[in-house]
Amino acid sequence: MKRLLGPATAALLALAGGLTLTAPAAAAECPSGHFCAWEHADFGGQRANWSGDDGWWEGWIADNDSSWANHGISGPGVKDYVRVYESAWQGGSMTICLAPGQEAGYNGAANDRGDSHIWATGC
Amino acid sequence: MRHATRRVIATASAALVLAGCATVRPGPAGPAAPSASAGTPAARQEQDGILKAAEQRLVAECLEAQGLALPPASQARAPAPAPGPAAAADARLRTALFGEDPRELSLTLATGLTVTANSDGCVASARAELYGDQTRWFRAQVTVDNLRALAQARMKQDPAHRAALDRWTRCAAPSGGPRTGRPEPAVAERCTRESGLADVRARLEPAELATVHTLHRDQVATYEQLRARALRRAAELSANPTRKKGTDAS
Repeated sequence: MKRLLGPATAALLALAGGLTLTAPAAAAECPSGHFCAWEHADFGGQRANWSGDDGWWEGWIADNDSSWANHGISGPGVKDYVRVYESAWQGGSMTICLAPGQEAGYNGAANDRGDSHIWATGC
Repeated sequence: MRHATRRVIATASAALVLAGCATVRPGPAGPAAPSASAGTPAARQEQDGILKAAEQRLVAECLEAQGLALPPASQARAPAPAPGPAAAADARLRTALFGEDPRELSLTLATGLTVTANSDGCVASARAELYGDQTRWFRAQVTVDNLRALAQARMKQDPAHRAALDRWTRCAAPSGGPRTGRPEPAVAERCTRESGLADVRARLEPAELATVHTLHRDQVATYEQLRARALRRAAELSANPTRKKGTDAS
């Protein structure tokens, strides 16, 4: 079951999750409150951003993620950490866990391996 | 994407990490912590709440000084703002919260993961006030937060795990060809059970977690020490609600 990303789907996702084409930039352009993943290292290429969980990343970013940023807003009881997993529906191993404010411009191990993520109160 | 030089740096840094530090905070599924400061999961959870409340208060004060405010909780999971004034306002908030380049804080872990953060911005300054030493806290936090990821990476090298994973793959993609998509949750769950992967993980992961805790015991000790410091600082802050910023540093 391959999920294809058509223009209509993309438009819907832009509302719910978000797709943005960004040039490689010095700063990680990730909206506050969101977790972002980029297809290239150093926050370059196409960006996916999520304010919630996603058990099955879209095909273009799944296994094609090379840099990440957690711009979650912290607070008591708030799920502000992000855990990235190598398989859909949080299966397999956790490849990355980021606290709010943390970014990873490159990861030799997790590169192109992310498939799903959840927000959590810790790692 | 391949970055040979990054990989060399990562390897060298990983060696340093392994030589210098290491360990994990005890989670519900983790092994018992070697340090005495662990406490029960419920106590840890309560402490987490205290620390996050203190950090939130410090961040809110810092933003307020810049004429900004934290978004209401109801907007915490809102979609990203559309391009325009809302996006510009969010960019300003983002910079105030998370700081500006260059990223002064950086640590490469044994998994190859290089985590970075800015040392300026309201979140960073709140953590500096709570934990006392921003750089030490960043290194300890990133290390401890990723001990589970490190343990799982080590676990995957185990022959028993490799064999179970092969069985899982055959179960989830019985045709043998390349998968065209990802298994549905029910299929993935059934295969994890039938392949024995769940059992292998349950057996191997605690041992690997204990190993990486030991490898990184120095950072775990630092983590606990700075966390205790932050809890004391949080108590001081809550006892002094009308403090003037910067005049009551411990």
